[in-house]
Amino acid sequence: MTDRYSELSDEALGRRLAADLPRHAAPARLRVAIEAATERPARRPFWLAPALAAAATALILALVFMPLLPRLSPSEPAERLARIVVAEHTRAVMWGARRPDILPASLPWLTQETGITLTKVFAGDDQLNLIAAEPVYLDQRRGLAVHYRDADGHQVTYVVLPAPGLPMPERTRVKIDRFRPALVHDNGFSSWVWKEGDLACFLVSDMVSASDVVRFKDYFVRVRLATEPIPAY
Amino acid sequence: MADSDFQGQALAHLDALHNFAMYLTRNPAEAEDLVQETYLRAFRFSHRFQPGTHLRAWLFQILRNTFLTFYRLRERELPLAEDGVPDWDAPMFHEAPAEDPSVLEAHTDLERAMRRLPDDFRTVLLLAEVEGLPLEEVAQIMACPVGTVKSRIFRAKERLRAILRDYEKI
Repeated sequence: MTDRYSELSDEALGRRLAADLPRHAAPARLRVAIEAATERPARRPFWLAPALAAAATALILALVFMPLLPRLSPSEPAERLARIVVAEHTRAVMWGARRPDILPASLPWLTQETGITLTKVFAGDDQLNLIAAEPVYLDQRRGLAVHYRDADGHQVTYVVLPAPGLPMPERTRVKIDRFRPALVHDNGFSSWVWKEGDLACFLVSDMVSASDVVRFKDYFVRVRLATEPIPAY
Repeated sequence: MADSDFQGQALAHLDALHNFAMYLTRNPAEAEDLVQETYLRAFRFSHRFQPGTHLRAWLFQILRNTFLTFYRLRERELPLAEDGVPDWDAPMFHEAPAEDPSVLEAHTDLERAMRRLPDDFRTVLLLAEVEGLPLEEVAQIMACPVGTVKSRIFRAKERLRAILRDYEKI
């Protein structure tokens, strides 16, 4: 038998390979590393998965049905009415007046339709432009709306509705000039609410920031001083 | 098979896999990485192992595939990027690169000659002759017909003899 690998037969070379080729055993640290890498993390409590699943389901259902839930109505009747007026203002902002008639030509017709006469009406100035006037029917009351727009594009809506006996929300009343209207915030809009006899008057705009409210006060004074609604019948 | 049973049986082949990895990578650190990656994959995909088949062959197959996927790819990237040789010009069997003093030192002519064999020739000799796996399992590991395995063993031994003959002349 030869010791020269080059002269070995195929079978013999195979045997010598198995016998003579150095073997490299795995270091102990490799086994430790593999076992450590494959260790399972500590088991979660058995109730955790179903509890999380239930919470997630409840959250999703709440998010889905939240828009369908009825909004809480304000406790103050004036605030509830202001919310309805804000909805009308939003409609006018999005879709415009239903019948954009121009004052004062339409005043007799407005009086006939609403039962409210405007003995004086703010017809606009350098700050506010009159856009339209129209009759409205809100909360089962016939009233009228006059739409203005200021130089910055804010639409301002003046609404008069018959509301005998409507109490004013005292806690939100603000002293402006010689008047004390209530300031109501709803859904991103501000409303001045005040009474003139049995009529409830509203001035609505999207002016809600502190600086806007200062300007909105000025608009209130302009409209309040120059407009005088009275029941026609 | 329970996970702990499977892990115990798989770890029984640690030394053989490490030896195989050493001859494939010629670098102790890379061999350890390769073996560790092999076991992680084996444990992750243990549900795919069919009980009753040869676990050892399955582990060798994972190790070789991992080596081909990561280590061989990395080995080829540098020369291709440097000389711009396109893929289709690369030879099917690569000669092992010149020995690097930083890698494992070879102590015998046989070991040195094995390192100079192309990967596929070295692999087939390690699996069939050193580890003693049946030709069918070697064919399964190398994803080729049994006839190809036989042919490669024959040609690998021819090449090995030629290299050893050179050493014996010195």
